[in-house]
Amino acid sequence: MNVILPLVPRLDAGLPAGVTSHKSGGRDVWTGPLGYAPKDVLAATWAALDEVLDPEIPISLVELGLVYGLQVEGGVARVTITFTATACPCMEFIREDITDRLEMEAWIDAVEIEEVWSPPWTNERITEAGRAKLKTYGVSA
Amino acid sequence: MNEYVDVDAMSPVDRAALKRLIMGLADSKRLMGIRYSDWILGAPTIETGVATSSMTQDEWGHARLLYSMLKHLGEDPVVAEHDRPAEAYGNLSVLDEPAENWAALVSAMVIADGAMTVALAGFAGGRFEPATSRVAKMVSEEEFHVSMSTAWYRRLADASEEAQLLLRAATDRQLPVALAWLGTNDAAKEALAAAGVTSTAAEQVASFKDAVRGVLASGGVDVDAVAPAGEWDTDRGRGLGQPDADSIERARGDRNRALFVE
Repeated sequence: MNVILPLVPRLDAGLPAGVTSHKSGGRDVWTGPLGYAPKDVLAATWAALDEVLDPEIPISLVELGLVYGLQVEGGVARVTITFTATACPCMEFIREDITDRLEMEAWIDAVEIEEVWSPPWTNERITEAGRAKLKTYGVSA
Repeated sequence: MNEYVDVDAMSPVDRAALKRLIMGLADSKRLMGIRYSDWILGAPTIETGVATSSMTQDEWGHARLLYSMLKHLGEDPVVAEHDRPAEAYGNLSVLDEPAENWAALVSAMVIADGAMTVALAGFAGGRFEPATSRVAKMVSEEEFHVSMSTAWYRRLADASEEAQLLLRAATDRQLPVALAWLGTNDAAKEALAAAGVTSTAAEQVASFKDAVRGVLASGGVDVDAVAPAGEWDTDRGRGLGQPDADSIERARGDRNRALFVE
């Protein structure tokens, strides 16, 4: 007997403008680009960065406490990040996601990422919002 | 406030000593990772195998960060990682051969991984900025390895007579070599300690003994009664010999050479 499986929607369906693929997952939650010039560019950039999810845990890099610093100057966003582990298998995804998300915004021409290991990341750096979200997924931190 | 060393102003002798230290640590991490990886599907329990997988990941992450420090000396980390023969490796010689049984790996967890962590801590507390900013994370990841190694060492030390004999044989073989690796105070080590780049050999031996004294005592070993042993290769800062060919093929990534995306 032949079993005809229902068609499954393409994964890429419904992606925001400017996003061409689910490279690491989570890109479908991106809302940008903003569409207007924000009064507070730095805050708007933080908000954009807060949409970039960790590829393995569905909370943002900001909520996970991986972003140690952000500067926006002359169209260049400089992001200082760390990783949860020295051999984090998602480093390349994270770099790409940060760059692609921020470069969607009209006030950002380029993204420079500085990777640091000090102070070492521990789960104490997860924000309260991040902890609350993890709890809904059944993960304690 | 720590005043960092100016690598460009270091003497050629001191630069060579620093390179030897970085290569020795990085190579040891790479080989330790391979030794852990051998047991991912062969450990006594599934949970332990999963743990060795995580420890493999840690060791290779540490190796990558350590090799990358060579850039500060004008060296190409890619060459160091992928293009050196076995006889150039500076790893702790305990790791030259695969662990022949689980007890030997447990012993290496305590002794080899423990010695490396002491050496790393000494490096992290020194005046070489890339080490001070990167190594603390490695040391923090090693805390989990200590929990695992201590638990397993004590477990085997309290297990069957055969397990105890295997553990003791591995410990008796590895411990003198690790003590020599940390404690041999040649010119290169003296130079780095004098420059404040690392702690002294004597300090590292003392730290190591403090760290392992209790757990080794559970297996009847008195770390204070064991003498360092093994002939010393000054060029590489390790004992004589070299890693086995298969491990170096894996360490260099020979089978994936056409796929490198560095």
